[in-house]
Amino acid sequence: MNERRPEYKVTGSRRKWAVLAVLTLAAAGLASPWASGRPDGLERVAEDLGFLGREAAVHSFSPMPGYEVAGIPWEAVRTGLAGLIGAVVMAVLLWTALRALARRR
Amino acid sequence: MHIPDGYLSMEVWTATTVAGAAAAGYALRRTRTALAQPQVPAAALAGAFIFAAQMLNFPIAGGTSGHFLGSALAAILFGPWAAAVIMSAVLIIQAVLFHDGGITALGANILCTAIIGSFAGYGVYQAGLRLLKGRLQAAASFAAAWVSIVAASCGVALLLALSGAAPLSAALPAMLGWHALIGIGEGLITMAAAAYLTERRTSLAPEGAFA
Repeated sequence: MNERRPEYKVTGSRRKWAVLAVLTLAAAGLASPWASGRPDGLERVAEDLGFLGREAAVHSFSPMPGYEVAGIPWEAVRTGLAGLIGAVVMAVLLWTALRALARRR
Repeated sequence: MHIPDGYLSMEVWTATTVAGAAAAGYALRRTRTALAQPQVPAAALAGAFIFAAQMLNFPIAGGTSGHFLGSALAAILFGPWAAAVIMSAVLIIQAVLFHDGGITALGANILCTAIIGSFAGYGVYQAGLRLLKGRLQAAASFAAAWVSIVAASCGVALLLALSGAAPLSAALPAMLGWHALIGIGEGLITMAAAAYLTERRTSLAPEGAFA
């Protein structure tokens, strides 16, 4: 039996993807300094069940630990800049890697 | 829900590093056929959006916060294999550049959020669309996102228990409880983003050929 079924395809609208790009930059650069500083789900469980103390740094080579760019006096700028850098690195890395991988046509 | 260094025992992090690398490698191979060139800019942008949205912790009950995960959203838009690659890339950048999530725990984090999260989300979304005969995409997206983050949190609880950090009888209900709450936020964001970024098309499809 055939029937009409709606399908959902990823939009090709350039405007919508441009809106997502603006939202991404606003979230990473402007909103991120005001994110909640409360422990997240896993940290809370670690606290409650008493294994938070197991955390141990095995390296210190991250250039922006804790999502902050060092050497800037304003916390909001430290965090916002780290967010912007991360979002741009993310897009460039994925674009490069996926362009090399994805099928032609 | 990023496992830091130290939470996992050496046996567990060694095993999950090997398994996580193998799973990510296989996902890369599958992405060669699962993703087409015209989808690349959108997939890269979605990855950047997921990274940015993960920074925005929102307060939930009891002095705790949660943040968006994005595995289900990526899987709804680009399928589970490409989603696993996108989520693995997010985890690698977070661990290397921002010290968020351990290096020894990277394989475990990839298994839980990139693999379990993406496939649980994709499975529930497809099952939901089938069940609802393609109507109510929002309900399918919400359920997919909720199940995906809860499933990922169960994976983390299991690895914590195997590592001797806490007994499973305590870790599982605790992780499940908090992430059932965080999952509501996950569901709402995924529902809105998936509705905005997809277009509904009605086509004449033979029974069972809906994909």
